[in-house]
Amino acid sequence: MFVLVLGLCPVLGVSTQVSNAIGMSAGVLFVLLFSNIIISALRKVIPASIHIPAYIVVIASLVTITEMVMHAFVPSVYSALGVYLPLIVVNCIILGRAEAFASKNSVFDSILDAIGMSVGFALGLTLIALIRELFGSGTITLFPMGNFGGVINIPWFYDNPIRVMALAPGALLIMGYLKAFFDWNTSRKKDK
Amino acid sequence: MTKNLKYGLILLSICAVCAFALALTNSITAPVIKMQDEVNQKRALEAVSNGWTIGTRNEVSGQAYVTYTIDLLDNSSVAGYVVGLSTSGYGGQMTLVASYTSKGEMLFAQLLTHSETPGLGKKAEQAGYMDKFKGSGTDKAVPTTKTMLSDADAQAVSGSSVTFTAIAKAIAAGSEYVKNLGGAL
Repeated sequence: MFVLVLGLCPVLGVSTQVSNAIGMSAGVLFVLLFSNIIISALRKVIPASIHIPAYIVVIASLVTITEMVMHAFVPSVYSALGVYLPLIVVNCIILGRAEAFASKNSVFDSILDAIGMSVGFALGLTLIALIRELFGSGTITLFPMGNFGGVINIPWFYDNPIRVMALAPGALLIMGYLKAFFDWNTSRKKDK
Repeated sequence: MTKNLKYGLILLSICAVCAFALALTNSITAPVIKMQDEVNQKRALEAVSNGWTIGTRNEVSGQAYVTYTIDLLDNSSVAGYVVGLSTSGYGGQMTLVASYTSKGEMLFAQLLTHSETPGLGKKAEQAGYMDKFKGSGTDKAVPTTKTMLSDADAQAVSGSSVTFTAIAKAIAAGSEYVKNLGGAL
């Protein structure tokens, strides 16, 4: 997200709560992992001239399966993600990694690539959601478990929210500052 | 020609396998989703029933917004109606239930299914959103435009006017339908 600058659409829309970010990350992991496996397994079967429509069919089917499974078994996450769940189909990470890596490497390497990319996406998305929710609402929303309702109110932040952080401009600001920080960190390491 | 045929067969095979996988997943998840929808609908009916007894459901056809009505009974007499409404929002079809007195005054409403954008039209799910329409339908018209709302309410629906207008028109249509019932049920 901060290096390849892929997958920014859900970053803006889903990073309002930590639980939404985790749910979206799980969906992306499932789709990316299985699309990489299938596309890598079929890389010698699918001709280059039709690989884009073939990949899209596979990815769209996996996203629809994810949608149906979430709707049935995790309806709260399904409801929270809303239209951003089917938008995983056009998430650049999925098609980008299929095209750039899975179509040219073995199944095992593609699995590792998918896991690595998904973990990076999850960490980036969760970090942005954590900052936005903390400063924008003063809470951290996780998944309810037992007696735990799922929402943690952070003192002082809860009483003094910076509302813009919970809105779209806040997402862009956080994204920009984090990108700048990672670029600075990378260039600092190169200078050393 | 042979090459195109080969490509077509490869794509056909991929589509066929994907279609099978989707059908299999649907066969497993569809009953679970249907059960959830029934539970959600039952909860929604109880939430809007105003403490009255929920009566029998009557399907409605030929109406733009109203899909069914359910009479609400207070000591065996009809005190009001729950109306099932269907409308079209920003993301597609929305369904909601709204309860009215027998004179058409709106009491409660709840959004059931929709595809509205999170953070914008999806706010219509939140508690308090439907309070804008509470008490309207008789002396007070159902607000169907932002200019008919208070400043605070107009601000709350800012950025999701399409969703608000769709819900408002459905609730207004429900009120008119109840008024025209005239005790016919």
